[in-house]
Amino acid sequence: MDLERFNYDENDKIHRFIRKIGISAVSLVVFVLIWWNLSLLLNNPAVPTPGETWDAMLYLFDKGDAVSGMTMWGHMSISLQRFVAGLLLALAVAVPMGLLLGYSDTINEFSSPTLEILRPIAPIAWAPIFLFTVGYVWGPILVVFVGIFFPMLTNTIFGVKKIEPSWVDASKTLGANKMQVFTKVMLPASVPYVMNGLRIGMGVGWMCIVASELYASFGGGVGYFISIQAQFGYWPNVFVGIVLIAILGLLTTGVSDYAYRTIVKRMGME
Amino acid sequence: MSGDISIVNLSKTYKTDEKETVALEDFSLDIKKGELVTIVGPSGCGKTTILRMIAGLMDPTSGTVTLGGKCCQGPGPDRGMVFQDFALFPWRSVRKNVEFGLEVVGVPKAERRERAERYIKSVGLAGFENAMIHELSGGMKQRVGIARALVTKPDVILMDEPFGALDAQTRNIMQTELLRITDKTDTTVIFVTHSVDEAVYISDRIVVLTKRPAKIKEVIEIPWPHPRDRSSQEFTALRRKILKMLESENIQPDGSTGTVA
Repeated sequence: MDLERFNYDENDKIHRFIRKIGISAVSLVVFVLIWWNLSLLLNNPAVPTPGETWDAMLYLFDKGDAVSGMTMWGHMSISLQRFVAGLLLALAVAVPMGLLLGYSDTINEFSSPTLEILRPIAPIAWAPIFLFTVGYVWGPILVVFVGIFFPMLTNTIFGVKKIEPSWVDASKTLGANKMQVFTKVMLPASVPYVMNGLRIGMGVGWMCIVASELYASFGGGVGYFISIQAQFGYWPNVFVGIVLIAILGLLTTGVSDYAYRTIVKRMGME
Repeated sequence: MSGDISIVNLSKTYKTDEKETVALEDFSLDIKKGELVTIVGPSGCGKTTILRMIAGLMDPTSGTVTLGGKCCQGPGPDRGMVFQDFALFPWRSVRKNVEFGLEVVGVPKAERRERAERYIKSVGLAGFENAMIHELSGGMKQRVGIARALVTKPDVILMDEPFGALDAQTRNIMQTELLRITDKTDTTVIFVTHSVDEAVYISDRIVVLTKRPAKIKEVIEIPWPHPRDRSSQEFTALRRKILKMLESENIQPDGSTGTVA
């Protein structure tokens, strides 16, 4: 074969793509090899080999686990539903609140002592209270809500504060009233910042959902699944849960990054 | 007559904790419909302050602005404004930017579109209706800014160093374009600029201001027809005369030509 033909061309889109895929593939293979070696080296049942994990995964997706009687699809969909519910709730509360706090200094000054007290509390610290008060369906949702709420709020406030004063001036000289300045200028102008808050919040939210499910003792979900499998010592199953968390986390950040880039680009506000 | 502007004893004083700064003192000026008046003055003398008070974006400490006999309170679509940084909405297309002023007063969609298209065409941007703002050059952006200000048929457009961010060539083209557009629509223009050359080229009248607190130093009528020849003797002579006036304003009591912040 003529090796000349495989010269890498940096300006070729397809070449760049193949290179990226290649490097990623090698990286993953190295990662799995390290895992495999570590597992053999430690020789501890709590660290199964990739092979054992793979077999367990196939079985769990097909037949499900004996303890909960659910397949992995079931657990994943429960976690995702809670995640999305928490996310929507955070959007519905944090965005209007952020717009208001960014708009009015008085309301901002009034709210900030309370918010500053609540902000540093790790969302998972609320899990016992939420689970006790609203149960294992809404409990984890509220934990996700708290996790996403703060980055979203901060970014929205920042977005309103960063609005070009000349946009507001221009809209006023064109005859916009206060409400129109708000809906036609401040709202669209803060969208990129809201999206950025969403992007950061989704990463935090995904950690929250798993953590709160680990804590809950009912109701399914990937976190719950890991917790019960660990109690029974089914370590390959625990690893399946961990791998799925990684994949779902990767997917959600991927989706939110893509949404952020697309929307900001379409709005011409890069 | 409707469209005539009368500015009477306009003054602005900024108050801070320690002191009061008088930015503008007893500024009075009558402007006829269709006239193009430029305001020049030393940097930081309060030219923009005058414009913002006429626009209603800033309250005067005392004095009044009347438009066709009516007193102006707060901003309104009878006074359009064109900004140095364009102040276009990047999330809206060219068409949507121009339609903004019609949209907020509730003009029906079809009429809005038709009127916007007419003005986009008249500023020379036909074919760019659906372009996004970041796709345009500086000169094109300000054409959108002018169309947006004109589409609501204001009695006057206030231009705050509108070509200040453009390169010299584009600037000259835009000056000619502005004259063509405002001539056709018979719009009154109040134009603030740093460039004496620009002022002499476009103005019917030039108002020269003193340094802070700004007062009117001199009002110069320019009856010459357009297009004007920038290299003609009378043009350069007038330019030199105004530059001299501004220079003398910038001289400090100690004789240095310190810059005014």
